[in-house]
Amino acid sequence: MMIKKISKERFKKLFDELKEEYNIAAPILKDKGKEKILEYDFINDFDQIVWDRQPDSSPKNIIFPQNSMLGNDYKGSKYYDDNLSTIIMGVRSCDIEAVKVFDQVFIEDDSYIDDSYKNRRDKTIIMGISCAEREDSCFCDSLGLDPIESDYAPVYIFKDEDEFFIKIKDEKYEDLFEDLPKGDQAQLKALKKQRKEEFKESSFTLDIPTPLPEKEMFEADIWEEMTEKCLGCGVCTYYCPTCYCFNFFWEGEDGESTKYKSWDSCMFSSYSVHASGHNPRDSKGKRYRNRIMHKFSYHPLNYEGLACVGCGRCIDRCPVNLDIREALKMTEEYLLEEGGDESGKD
Amino acid sequence: MKVEKTDMLPQKAEIIEIKQETKTNLNIKTFRLRFKDRSQRDNFQFKPGQFMMLTVFGVGEAPFGFASSPTEKEYFEFSVKEVGLVTEALHNLKEGDIIGVRGPYGNGFPLESTEGKNIIFIGGGIGIAPLRSLINYVLDEENRHKYKKIQLLNAFRSPEDTLYCDDYEWWENTENTEVKYTIDEPCEGWSKCVGFPHTLIVEELNYELPDTRVFTCGPPIMIKFVTEKLRELGIDPAEIITTLEMRMSCGVGKCGRCNIGHYYVCKDGPVFTLEQLGEMPDEY
Repeated sequence: MMIKKISKERFKKLFDELKEEYNIAAPILKDKGKEKILEYDFINDFDQIVWDRQPDSSPKNIIFPQNSMLGNDYKGSKYYDDNLSTIIMGVRSCDIEAVKVFDQVFIEDDSYIDDSYKNRRDKTIIMGISCAEREDSCFCDSLGLDPIESDYAPVYIFKDEDEFFIKIKDEKYEDLFEDLPKGDQAQLKALKKQRKEEFKESSFTLDIPTPLPEKEMFEADIWEEMTEKCLGCGVCTYYCPTCYCFNFFWEGEDGESTKYKSWDSCMFSSYSVHASGHNPRDSKGKRYRNRIMHKFSYHPLNYEGLACVGCGRCIDRCPVNLDIREALKMTEEYLLEEGGDESGKD
Repeated sequence: MKVEKTDMLPQKAEIIEIKQETKTNLNIKTFRLRFKDRSQRDNFQFKPGQFMMLTVFGVGEAPFGFASSPTEKEYFEFSVKEVGLVTEALHNLKEGDIIGVRGPYGNGFPLESTEGKNIIFIGGGIGIAPLRSLINYVLDEENRHKYKKIQLLNAFRSPEDTLYCDDYEWWENTENTEVKYTIDEPCEGWSKCVGFPHTLIVEELNYELPDTRVFTCGPPIMIKFVTEKLRELGIDPAEIITTLEMRMSCGVGKCGRCNIGHYYVCKDGPVFTLEQLGEMPDEY
């Protein structure tokens, strides 16, 4: 492990050195209609980076593009070169843990390894950033995550006013930061301790067994009521850092046609409908049940850990204020009342 | 531009024969395919019960279970019922046309553990297609000796809707093999069984032979009634085997849509025993 401490000016210089050898993606403000939205994109200018709040979307689009043409490289930006590796700067604990979910599904599950994902991921270095403040909707710590630091990123940034600690946890990347002035370990420790103490406690506590009991919660009668107001717009899945469902599309004629891969959403009725018209998930309640159960039952049964990281973006973005925390509370209450106390397969 | 490595792009296969299966209602055709590439043709292996993703270029891709047996080395077949976008586009193709194929995917029927057993096949309509892959495999002269008595109950809506008529003579004339056919309602000139398959099990099939394994596939409602009847008759749910269909995109358990609880039909199935289905949420 190596600890460095640098000023903003020195970081800018480092950025300019790194961008010669790497694509750099970081959260920047972008115009979306009348709104400015903080999103990850490939950039050329250090000063564009916004460090001090949770980005409105996760870096999912960097490691798993929303649309990609199969058989071709990902060309998302003029600041992206397919021959270079990518550094994603300023990724928070929640989004780092979400990358872990993707890695589990697309790389570590040896029943099928997604080569295009693996290829992109092998060429990605995540520079995490420690959270300083809680956003209104986030609840990662209620799910057992640590907003101050995630072990899954090989390099971590701790921003202290206008100074930056950089903690290099993976020796592989020490070379990149070697020339920087050394940071004091005790000082960083003190900063982390202070952060932890100052971090506002989450008002949301959760006491559910995970994996959620598959059959029992599947059969629970809470889902339709929970989703009465849902519009089925799928925005929760698009902003979700762990949602990875996708679909293929063809364009063009015959031999000239191109196959695309695009994000899909289990909240769409067309997602699971058969050609015959039969749909195993033919109501909003059934679709939302699949979304919650995938994150809190199916993923933990198939892999390890939850497929929800408590980033709260689905809460921020939902047009009808459907709140996953309330859904989980209803689940908790249901299990309490119905006496379900065993997790996993029942 | 650099090419991104992926096996999600299909290989090219040629349609070497199209057979119109159903009569007045022309909605089921069987496509006989082979790879364009010779080495692919020679190296291709699959198991009955597995499926392929078929692509009509520019239109889309959908999963289809093999309808032919892997003992046929020169080609492989799929029976396609015209119901949606991809199946309609497939029906519009002609012999010599090229389609995309990728796979095989899925677990397939249990072959080894079925050896030494009596087998009953109960199939309905297009649901006979995946069973035919196994039927033709076990009835193949190389394999027939591995199995005891084999009984088939093939159900169709009407005589106009029968499938695989060219196989009947061979099936019926194979030793220790009995083949029954039924249609939904009585019809002039039809002398075989009449009625839904679950109502015929007791009368027409010798289900009480020890060590019997049943394979069934058909419309969801038929599978439901048949499996319920078999269970009622005391057949071990672990010996009742069916194959499911679901909307799929990837075929390898990643794109999400075909899950039943934490199982993916494409990867953990599509073949399941009734015992397994009993443990899974009722979401199919």
